[in-house]
Amino acid sequence: MIAARVEKWDGLLGTVHGLVALCDTAVIIYFLAINSGYLVLILFALAELVRRLRRAPFAGYEDAAGSPFTPPISVIMPAYNEAAGITEAVRAMLLLHYPVFEVVVVDDGSTDGSLEALADAFDLAEVDHVVPEDVPMRGRVTSLHLPRGGPVPLVVARKDNGGKADALNVGINLARYPLLCMVDADCILDSQALLAVAKPFSDDPLRVVATGGVVGIANGCTVEAGRVVEAHIPGDLLGRTQVVEYLRAFFLGRTGWSKVGGLLIIAGAFGLFRRDAVVAVGGMDPDCIGEDAELVVHLHRQLRERGRRHRDYRIVFVTEPISWSEAPARLRVLGRQRRRWQRGLTEILLKHRRMIGNPRYRRIGLVALPFYVLFELLAPVVELAGLVLVPLGVLIGAVDADFLWRFLLAAYAYAMVVSLVSVAVEEYAYHRFSRWRDLWGAVVGVVVENIGYRQFTAWWRLRGIWDALHRSPQEWGSMKRSGFGAPEQVREGGERH
Amino acid sequence: MINTALVTWALLCLLVFVLMLSLLTVAVRGARMYRRRRRERIAAPVRGLLLELLCAAEDEQDELLGRLARIDKRTWAALDPTVAAMLGKVSGRARSALVRLYELRGAADEAVARLGSRSAARRGRAAHVLGQLSHRPAALAVCRLLDDRDRDVRLAAARALGRTGDPVAVPHLLRSLRGARTVPPNVVTAALTSLGRDAWPAVAAGLRDPEPLVRAVAIEALGMTGAISRAAEVARALREDADIEVRIRAARALGRLGMPDGLPPLLAAIRPGRPVAQRIVAAGALGSLGAVAATGPLTELLGDRNPHVAGAAARALLRLGPAGEAALREAADGRPGPAAAQARAALAEAAVGGARHDVLVEVAL
Repeated sequence: MIAARVEKWDGLLGTVHGLVALCDTAVIIYFLAINSGYLVLILFALAELVRRLRRAPFAGYEDAAGSPFTPPISVIMPAYNEAAGITEAVRAMLLLHYPVFEVVVVDDGSTDGSLEALADAFDLAEVDHVVPEDVPMRGRVTSLHLPRGGPVPLVVARKDNGGKADALNVGINLARYPLLCMVDADCILDSQALLAVAKPFSDDPLRVVATGGVVGIANGCTVEAGRVVEAHIPGDLLGRTQVVEYLRAFFLGRTGWSKVGGLLIIAGAFGLFRRDAVVAVGGMDPDCIGEDAELVVHLHRQLRERGRRHRDYRIVFVTEPISWSEAPARLRVLGRQRRRWQRGLTEILLKHRRMIGNPRYRRIGLVALPFYVLFELLAPVVELAGLVLVPLGVLIGAVDADFLWRFLLAAYAYAMVVSLVSVAVEEYAYHRFSRWRDLWGAVVGVVVENIGYRQFTAWWRLRGIWDALHRSPQEWGSMKRSGFGAPEQVREGGERH
Repeated sequence: MINTALVTWALLCLLVFVLMLSLLTVAVRGARMYRRRRRERIAAPVRGLLLELLCAAEDEQDELLGRLARIDKRTWAALDPTVAAMLGKVSGRARSALVRLYELRGAADEAVARLGSRSAARRGRAAHVLGQLSHRPAALAVCRLLDDRDRDVRLAAARALGRTGDPVAVPHLLRSLRGARTVPPNVVTAALTSLGRDAWPAVAAGLRDPEPLVRAVAIEALGMTGAISRAAEVARALREDADIEVRIRAARALGRLGMPDGLPPLLAAIRPGRPVAQRIVAAGALGSLGAVAATGPLTELLGDRNPHVAGAAARALLRLGPAGEAALREAADGRPGPAAAQARAALAEAAVGGARHDVLVEVAL
């Protein structure tokens, strides 16, 4: 009887032993695969950057700057309680170097006097208005304001509070130009940013439906007159780590995806879209927290489904211009931001799940979306599972400890190689960070990103998945911004970088 | 399971790789800084000469040009980026001097030779240089690049041809709009527009092309360059062309040309039942035309079901002067409804001086 129990217990232990060993192997393979995936994307990005740099002398930016044929742009800037910085932000937008554009500010029912600040700064007058309903709007437009007597291409609309996506939809309806540039009210654009991000539309007007620009971290940079005049890597550890992360995942990762025709995310902080394409998909989804990424996936879906004539389209990531945005400087705020991003990603993948693995959507369905499911959606799950299962495997003897520490070291070294390649590619292509100590800061960021930072964000990202699955109420926190100029209270986390 | 020795070996390789990447990054930065300083050092003695050339009177230029043309290759290589940057920024006599300097240095001949290079980047740069120098003799050679296998080279060639100022390029530019290796219509239109009135006969030949895109681009270029002698042909295109894109371009061109020939077809183009994009552009064109006779038809559009058509009509009425404004006031004070709302919005915009005359057009050729 006892022997049978012992035998049964041994069998059970053996099964657990085997399962833990299997899981550990899976975690190890996953770790290799995710880093290899990023490395491949970075190599694609490098090829693209080399190509673009060699052709830059005859890219024709000067022609675009002075040409009446450069397509006009409506810059849509949703704002909610941005009184502290909205005036400077709008002024900087109006000074962008581009032949014809307008700035449409949509005040989403601010309670801090944002509209009054704008009215004072630009001498706004309230005018009667008709807002076309090309895309659905939830919040009612209560007033429309134009600058008195001037050629200032500014329109300010005030609406009932309805969220960022709804504010963008109002902006889409008010926009009068064929290209829509969606920007966050708290971001800083380089003066040439519109020219560069619109260039693919001029070069390939029949196929390009959207372009995304690079978003950089403004923390630690020198800002003058609403422009980043000197880019630096911030002095704090969290800032340095995020700079490296942005380089690897957002700048080079998206350049790589763009190269292979699989770009799924365009940052809400800086994206340019064909108005007719956005209207055709019904504008932004106000129920989705990651409305910017959702729009891109929706565009892919709709253009693939609309038939042969529409299938030959391009969504492009542009590496030259940059939009600067302040990144969270505190762990708690960073955690909340990542939780929101992951929730947004989960919602998008759930909403468009029929595209995943579906050959009808070509590279998007067969490569990009499965990659996002495996290496973006599930990454925090596997990362945290690994943190539990790997030590457990050592504890119960399922994994050889000597092998494991060597392997972990190799795996983290591999991840660091991937991040270092990103730093090297940036240095080769744009070398935006001019000081030697910026390089050192980046190297520190490379180490911390892989040991500590990723594990920390994994927890918050896991909570984001949970929020999406349980449809928790949306939260909009706030954070103290301190990177440039006077500290200001601004909304946090609405942006997806 | 993976062999432990293999993992150890991989770890060592990766550590070496980390070290190499770090060194490489430092080396890339160091080399770039060294090159920049070296270039500045070499170019410093002749930079003053270049500035003198830019400011010199015509009779003083020859000597300065001679001295700059004789500088050695190493110094010229260091100075070249500055000259190239200035070429894009200056105009008039200073620009002519820089162009002559390039020609004396043999840059134009070199660029012509590079048009046949195997490297796409070199071909593109060569076309760009020839465009910057407005090197007319090379126009036909650059035309051949309109059929280049590389898209960026084709674009560079089209832009360069616009700058060379030689109308011989027109048929080639129009031809580049069709086939497997095309140039975007806006780039071709910009090039044709740059060629000016000398190119009108050749551009007008495009109005009879079987390809709608060619007709559309020809019309746009004629409208942009103020080819009033072609207004009747453009008006015929708006009336008769089967292609919507061509008709939209024709409507816009007629607004720009401002000739009476444009009025009847534009009035016909805004009628209900016509494509929305065409009605919007035609309404805007009627505003540009400024013909009071359009007041009635535009007023009728204020109540159109499509708010963009109605909005374009309201803003067009503003541009017709007192008659249009009176019509808007009457509509604004009339029966409440969409027409009154559109009229009030346009009048309010005009009252603050911020009327948004540009019309929304979602048609992108």
